[in-house]
Amino acid sequence: MNDASDNIADNGGCILTASRLDKSFGRGAARVHVLRGLDLTVRRGEFLAVMGPSGCGKSTLLHVLGLMTPPDAGAIYVDGQEVTPGERQRNMLRRKVFGFVFQRFNLLGALSAADNVSISLRVRGAKPDGYVDELFDTMGVADVAARKPSEMSIGQQQRVAVVRALAHRPAIVLADEPTGNLDSANARALLGLFRQINRDNGQTVVMITHSPEAAAAADRAVHMKDGRIVDQHV
Amino acid sequence: MVPLPLANILQHKLRSLLTAAGIAVAVCMLITLSGLARGSLYEIADRWDSVDADLMLLPRGLRSDSATISGSQLPDRLAEIILQEHGDMIEHVVPVFLWQVPMAGQDHVAAGVAPGQWHVLSGEAEVTNGRLFDPDGNFAEWIDERLLGPGGNGKLLDLSPAQLGHPDHNGLELVIDSRLAGAGGYRLGQVIRMVEHDWTIVGIVPAGGMTRIYMPRRTAQYLAGGNILRSTLMFIKLRPGVELGPAARAIAESTRADAVPLADHRGQLAAKFQMMFVYVDLVNVIAMGIAFLFIMVMLYAMVLERTRDIAILKANGASAGFLLRQVVGESMILTAIGTAAGIALSFVAAWLVEVFRPLLTVQITGQWIATAVGIAAVGAVASAIYPAWRATRVDMVEALTLE
Repeated sequence: MNDASDNIADNGGCILTASRLDKSFGRGAARVHVLRGLDLTVRRGEFLAVMGPSGCGKSTLLHVLGLMTPPDAGAIYVDGQEVTPGERQRNMLRRKVFGFVFQRFNLLGALSAADNVSISLRVRGAKPDGYVDELFDTMGVADVAARKPSEMSIGQQQRVAVVRALAHRPAIVLADEPTGNLDSANARALLGLFRQINRDNGQTVVMITHSPEAAAAADRAVHMKDGRIVDQHV
Repeated sequence: MVPLPLANILQHKLRSLLTAAGIAVAVCMLITLSGLARGSLYEIADRWDSVDADLMLLPRGLRSDSATISGSQLPDRLAEIILQEHGDMIEHVVPVFLWQVPMAGQDHVAAGVAPGQWHVLSGEAEVTNGRLFDPDGNFAEWIDERLLGPGGNGKLLDLSPAQLGHPDHNGLELVIDSRLAGAGGYRLGQVIRMVEHDWTIVGIVPAGGMTRIYMPRRTAQYLAGGNILRSTLMFIKLRPGVELGPAARAIAESTRADAVPLADHRGQLAAKFQMMFVYVDLVNVIAMGIAFLFIMVMLYAMVLERTRDIAILKANGASAGFLLRQVVGESMILTAIGTAAGIALSFVAAWLVEVFRPLLTVQITGQWIATAVGIAAVGAVASAIYPAWRATRVDMVEALTLE
């Protein structure tokens, strides 16, 4: 099995850096400034929780860090390399470096659980291997691999989404409220898995959460307010 | 794994089915209409090709396709002149009077020909069911005596139907081909009313000869009301080894008529119906265009409906090329299904045409099937381009955050 570090070179312990990020939506009077000069550094192998009230910009930060949308101003560094605005490099980094877990799971409804994972790998030019089977087993969803999302429970869908996010061994896992739709038992299991991959594989996890219990699983938690990091604790 | 385009199609079975059905109808139209237009025409051309002749003698400037409705133009005596002057290179000359008559609900070109020369027009077919009209030549002898005998001047006569259809010299006899007999439900010995006379069907011949209806030439000439001693055209058979070009020129010169190769008829016929082909092809283009607009709208709706799925793929790093392949792939699968169904449907349509309109011919050729497949393939890609482009423009954040 490859290590997550295969996907990214060593860079002095700092894997993801955001510098003076600005991001706003809308125009004119309706313009909303979501990120305001935000700075954030994520260390390699860190499990970071990002907390804050609704509307403080947590999800937008995750989208910007995950290169799904460019910032209006500021810079993002992945492994010390500044990310350029060009879609080609951003696409490549999304493919190779990041794995996403969304709050609403976002599985493709037309495909089975196994095919959801397979297409995610295909996009990345890879094929399912033993590691994927291992993940299905670890997440306890091997028995629903042939089912479509509509035939699975909420908890099963979220666990399949996690398998999809981890299948290509990303160096950085970005998770947006991953436990938000789960019962406490499933939430604990998911956090345990994040902890495990973080510890065993050295994969970096950045998790948006409202939940202090979820944040407690992380190495460090930062708090956002009005588009900035205002506090952190280890 | 199940390819995503196929999975998406299976996810929306009814919509996919309707889209494929739209393509199937367009492909079926393309193959069937083209096959019908060209098939019916080429069937006529094939029948003319079966005539045992090398040249057609036509009034100067008249084309063979127009001659079919032009009545009498050439003096019958030209046949004798040709034989007298060019007997060394001519095997036979057959004057034919063409006349449009209604049978089985539509107009047909009937060939009026001397009974002794009928075999030249029949495409080697024999009358296996019944007999030839005027088999003993009694009618020809009877009418020629009145026309050309003492007191006859060729401008005859006022013959009653009873005289024309007299049992001893019956000129109101028909031989029809098997296809017309099948289409009209005609049987041997049946008396039918046509152009105000009662005709007896005395023979049924296998289809494939020059026309579907044959009758005594003199009867056709007389009833058509023209000059009874003139024919529409003459078929000329050259002796073996005689060169076509010089013979045609020599005959044309001596007759002051056009002597054209029989083989030219097909081209003249096709040229005459060129506009019909243009019309049919235009209809086909419109039908295919509508079908592919239908696909484009469907794919576009699919892109709008699946912005979240597309955003997920993009979030996973899917390139524009990957997304384009998914949309084009879906279009290609739908088109392939629709095209295959359309080809099958065109054979069904051809069969239905043959059953319900047996006088029409639908000629389904490999060329037109290949054309339909080619147009469908190009259309599938073309109609997917805009929806695919829209797919690449999906805003990931917007699509993933609008819960």
